[in-house]
Amino acid sequence: MLTEKMEEYLEALFKLSCEEDELSPTRVAEYLGVTAPTVLDMLHRLESEGFIRYSSKGKGSHKGKSHGRIKKTITLTHKGERAATTLVRRHRLSERFLTDVLGLDWESAHREACKLEHVISPEVEERLAEMLGNPDTCPHGHPIPDENGNIKEETEEIKPLCELSADDKVCIAMVDEEEPKLLQYLATLGLLPDVDVEVKEVAPFGGPLLIKVGDTQYALGREVASKIWTKKNRGGGAKRKRRHRSSGDPRKK
Amino acid sequence: MKEERLEQVEKIRRKAEYIFALAGNPNVGKSTIFNRITGMGVMTANYPGMTVELNLALTEMDGHRIGIVDLPGTYALGAVSEDQLVARRGVLQGRPDLVIVILDANNLARNLYLLLQFLDLGCPVVAALNLVDQADRAGIYTDVELLSEILGVPVVPTVGVRGDGLDEMMHQALELARAKEEYLILPFSYAMDIESRIRRVAELIQDDLEEIPNDLSSRALAILLLEEDEEFIEAVNEVVGGQEILEFSREIAGEIEEEHGEKAALIIARERHGIAGSIVANVQERREYGPPSLGERLWELTTSFKTGIPILVVVMALTFLAIFWGGGALAELFADFWESVVSSPVGDGIEALLGVNMFSQSLKWAVDGVGAVLEIALPYLLVFYVILALMEDSGYLNSVAFLTDRFMHRLGLHGRAVIPLISAAGCNVPAIMGTRVLSTRRERVIACVLIVLVPCSARIAVIMGGVARYAGWELALLLFFIVFAVIIAAGLFLNKIMPGESTGLVMEMFPFRRPSLVSILKKTWLRLKDFIYIAAPLIIAGSFILGLLYESGWILKLITPLQPIMEGWLGIPAVAGLALIFAFLRKELALALLLVLAAQAIPGVTESSSLLEFMTAGQIFTFALVTAIYIPCVAALAVLWRELGFRDSMLITLSTVLLAFILGGLSHLVIILI
Repeated sequence: MLTEKMEEYLEALFKLSCEEDELSPTRVAEYLGVTAPTVLDMLHRLESEGFIRYSSKGKGSHKGKSHGRIKKTITLTHKGERAATTLVRRHRLSERFLTDVLGLDWESAHREACKLEHVISPEVEERLAEMLGNPDTCPHGHPIPDENGNIKEETEEIKPLCELSADDKVCIAMVDEEEPKLLQYLATLGLLPDVDVEVKEVAPFGGPLLIKVGDTQYALGREVASKIWTKKNRGGGAKRKRRHRSSGDPRKK
Repeated sequence: MKEERLEQVEKIRRKAEYIFALAGNPNVGKSTIFNRITGMGVMTANYPGMTVELNLALTEMDGHRIGIVDLPGTYALGAVSEDQLVARRGVLQGRPDLVIVILDANNLARNLYLLLQFLDLGCPVVAALNLVDQADRAGIYTDVELLSEILGVPVVPTVGVRGDGLDEMMHQALELARAKEEYLILPFSYAMDIESRIRRVAELIQDDLEEIPNDLSSRALAILLLEEDEEFIEAVNEVVGGQEILEFSREIAGEIEEEHGEKAALIIARERHGIAGSIVANVQERREYGPPSLGERLWELTTSFKTGIPILVVVMALTFLAIFWGGGALAELFADFWESVVSSPVGDGIEALLGVNMFSQSLKWAVDGVGAVLEIALPYLLVFYVILALMEDSGYLNSVAFLTDRFMHRLGLHGRAVIPLISAAGCNVPAIMGTRVLSTRRERVIACVLIVLVPCSARIAVIMGGVARYAGWELALLLFFIVFAVIIAAGLFLNKIMPGESTGLVMEMFPFRRPSLVSILKKTWLRLKDFIYIAAPLIIAGSFILGLLYESGWILKLITPLQPIMEGWLGIPAVAGLALIFAFLRKELALALLLVLAAQAIPGVTESSSLLEFMTAGQIFTFALVTAIYIPCVAALAVLWRELGFRDSMLITLSTVLLAFILGGLSHLVIILI
């Protein structure tokens, strides 16, 4: 049986493993704000219960060929991954519930959800998802894993805006950073990564594109549009590090 | 230039108790509000880049004198484009008591971005929620009180064109200015990690920086440094203790970038958008969209290629016809009135009073000059200005910019440049100033050259009032085609020879708006006023001087050196050369003086056929062609000089003169051959 502490660790490991290829105990310690020995303790416990593997990299663990130290990394087992995705699912569903139904702001919703995720039963989880209409993402835009622990894989390629056609609805993945001034100008107009964009019209013969962002329409020349990369869905996709979307609650004093 | 203008702010400050700055995104009706509250003239325009300079005015409210500084319409206060920089300097150096931010209720989230930036800078703010009538029709409802509460600033709903809510807005502003409250706590904050980093930089600034540029708050400066704002980095660098702070802020900005995977400036922009978005989610409700409005359908028709291009062609043709028929009819009307009621009695009166001598004869020239103003310039200008104002205010120019973007790239420009180019057909001067919206010098030089070649309303008057009226509309059309071809050739040529590449188009597109009659009439009047007060006296004085020269016989001495070029090369009477020279002051003079000359050369005939007896149709054509292309007028040359510097403005001027005479000569040759 998992304790709340163990669950915390699993969740942290899951999140970190989504972003980094190699996980070290020091990184985990840094992330959770605890000391390395504490982490090692817990890692051994999780390993003994079959949630993780903590070993040197590579298949057959050849021990120290010429160098004294072996680099050991942490990987989640299937069991560990299932446990973690269930937690993430419960956390993100709770967040949805707290913001959409109870009207909490994002930050408080996140804090509350951290507690709720440990006490929600499978039955409550199911009903919650049903009531919320099986949402795809949490309020911050992160995907919610389904009941089998699958997260929608976003492996689709990204396309420059100029290759799209009218009525395409996409999300900005990234903007070429060669021209910092253009980038900043686009940012002030609200053309930022993770922002939804609708292509209204594409003028023929290499003419400009008409796009809609929020309530505003912009005409973008092809040159500009070729520097803006888009993807079909929110979240994931392009190679990006952890992006935390701000809560920015206006009424916070 | 900027310092000079700010000196003017100081001047107004001495006269006024309070200074308010007006700020807002382009096209939110800011200029209309400025006109309303100051009751004096600034142009309103339906596109960005029209008011790049600061406009100033004095007004009174409840017995207090208030100076109003109209900042250029801008989306943000960064250092990335000129309009943004000018707006920012207007606030930081002009030091208004408060800023009135005009918000578009239809697009509140994007508009709030600017307001949040003002709050970040520590400016006291009053917000006007403008265009609420339009928003209402679009089914957007805003809880103004809640918005005010969340932002911590007074918010007043307004309808600028009708003047609704403007008194209340000024009241609120005055009250806030009188309270002279130091700005309290910001009503919003960024994500915790960003906020704490801003605080760390701000604390260091507080402790170690001897003097904060522009008296900003330490938080405001910290944000600017984290955004890597060039201007402030430079300013801080010069202050004692500055380098250390720059190093620290770079380090912190690096931390943010490390953690979020994008630059601190972008993260902060993202935060602002996030805050703006969540505020709007709190205060606005929208009903389901109804069927697309007429404006939206028009918009689709004019921007889609299949329908847009034919519409553009039809609009151009209609414009030409309206000027030809409308202007022509008005011209007849004015001419009849002038000849029957004023011209001959006044002429007789002058002779009766002063006798027949050199002076009285010259005075009669001046009277003919007034007639020329009425017959030629005024009617055609009037019609053209109404059409131009209609295109600007309805938002049609935006569609044109969208349609022509690809084509403009061939000329080394992009769609946005089409707006100054079209408005150049009104007057070259504001058009040249309007090129500041273009981001590179290369684009600005190309745009300026093309603008100078675009026939302004004065030249259109010469072409329509001279060529179309006397030599036939086919020739006038041909002349427009030639000028158009010259503009395109010049663009293609410059794009080829000038190093660099054209940049891209990024432009906000506005839906069509029902233009207000009052605004169109006001704009037309403002433009016409300039003509009546500046050009008309010049034409009349020019006629008088020309008359003196003519009556005294000096004219023969003056025109002798012109003879070889005028008669030999261009094949037009040498006297007409004088009209060309005078036209450097105002292009309207060219035809006006020519008519005066013709009227005098063939005594007794003041009918509209007079010009044809003085010159052939071919000669009129050549004359108008040269007038249309050679040097911009004095005013255009002056702004050109200011915008591009001595070398380039001279180069442009000389090449246009050369080009005009080459084309004029060719035209003469062709006429001889047929």
